[in-house]
Amino acid sequence: MTSVTGYETGKFGTISTYFQIDDGWKLRTGKGVGVAIIDSGIDPEHPDLQGKVLESVEARSENKRVLFVPSETGDSAGHGTACAGIISRIAPDAQFYSIRVLGAGGLGDGHSFLAGLEYAIKKRYRLINLSLGTTKPQFFAPLHDLLDRAYQAGCIVVAAANNLPQPSFPSVFSSSLISVSKSTETDPFHFGFRFGEVIELTAPGVNVRTAWLGGGYKSLTGNSFACPHIVGIIALLLETYPNLTPFQVKSALYALAKENVDEDILKDGEGEK
Amino acid sequence: MSETAENNFEQKFRNLIETIDVANALTEPLTASIENLLKVTASEMNSEEASVLIREGDEGDLRFLSAIGKVADRLINLRVPAGKGIAGFVFSSGQPMAVADAGEEETFYAEVDKQTGYSTQMILATPLRHNGEIIGVLEYINRVGEPPYEPFTPREMDKAALFAEAVASLVNAYESAKLFCELGNKMMWGENAPKFTEVRQWLRELRSAAEHKEMLDLAILVRELASRSDAERLMCREILEAIIKCSDSKSETSFLNF
Repeated sequence: MTSVTGYETGKFGTISTYFQIDDGWKLRTGKGVGVAIIDSGIDPEHPDLQGKVLESVEARSENKRVLFVPSETGDSAGHGTACAGIISRIAPDAQFYSIRVLGAGGLGDGHSFLAGLEYAIKKRYRLINLSLGTTKPQFFAPLHDLLDRAYQAGCIVVAAANNLPQPSFPSVFSSSLISVSKSTETDPFHFGFRFGEVIELTAPGVNVRTAWLGGGYKSLTGNSFACPHIVGIIALLLETYPNLTPFQVKSALYALAKENVDEDILKDGEGEK
Repeated sequence: MSETAENNFEQKFRNLIETIDVANALTEPLTASIENLLKVTASEMNSEEASVLIREGDEGDLRFLSAIGKVADRLINLRVPAGKGIAGFVFSSGQPMAVADAGEEETFYAEVDKQTGYSTQMILATPLRHNGEIIGVLEYINRVGEPPYEPFTPREMDKAALFAEAVASLVNAYESAKLFCELGNKMMWGENAPKFTEVRQWLRELRSAAEHKEMLDLAILVRELASRSDAERLMCREILEAIIKCSDSKSETSFLNF
């Protein structure tokens, strides 16, 4: 049992919203939870993902506007399939909405992914995996606006940090989304957090064995692969507590990560004796 | 050709040569610096191969600008279509990534390997950014020595991101220099360029004559050697002088013998 402390502002002012998370959430499978993956597409024929891709759309540029049309091209890069594979290992019954914004060619690196995020928010997908980012300053304001809209619409956006010397968007918008960077941890349930840091959560992201093109598997390293670990965890939480708000989900992740961090400190202490 | 026409021709020809020289003078030191940086950083990463890919056109295609390692020569100017391979993904997503077992399937980088005869086992790719804009990709491939290789570590990924900063500023300088050269070419050859009919005609005749082509090929070789170190320049000069001496003595001997 984990106690989660949060605060919410209502008509009686700001009140604390304590709630308990039953340990049973770890045994859930993500049933009934839909996850939008904004990426390079998903290979629906991969053995790990067969029958789990509910919808596939891809970005098309038309008259300087980005449109989304049904996609039958799967995944040309492998990255989106890899992310879906990681989520599927943690939450095997979760289902996917593939929003392909990469690999189509002809679209700028920021425009298509912003359009993909807007599409997911308009569709009100509850859980959005965004293993992408941009450092272009001109996207700062529109992305901020979109993330706020997502937050207000109850969409939980999880973004990968970018291990570059300069900040990347949206992973630095810590208030309205959950940002993740990689750790060498291998247990998906043993994720951590960095209190007070812009990139808050840490999850397995080093040599992660996951689904790849052609029905195969790859060992991959990057923040891109830490992000879907947290999405998988949220899928289990949402199956158990379907009405959690983005704020409550973040608070729950903090509380669970704190237990993991405390456990590590305790272990280290025992080791020193 | 009258004297004025000849002077005019000479001036135009000189302009043309100067433009080509400026183009080379601007871009060559930058590509050499990128290559040097690749050598130093690949050694730091304990990596066997390293390469820099830059954007080509507006559709997200990439082209190998610089490479070091066994198949470097075969990689240069090779194109990677938009979104293909790890480089294509890193370029379009801006997310660095490493793959520890790239060689296990045919889908991965098979096309590039097929063309170069190289075997990509593992790869670390990080975007090159300038002013927030992704302008290319920096890659490190395999380790020094024989497989199985140790996978790239998170610390090495961070290092590569820092190296990418330095490489990106050079790539940006290269692109600016290239742009300047293209502008020069447009001024020389574009629609509004001064008429170079005589120069073009002369060049056409030059190109169509077989002996001139051979001479040009030789000149290119000498130029290539001249751009290297003093020792190579000296060696080149000595070899060429020795060939001329040998040829002179041979013709004299031939005269006596036949």
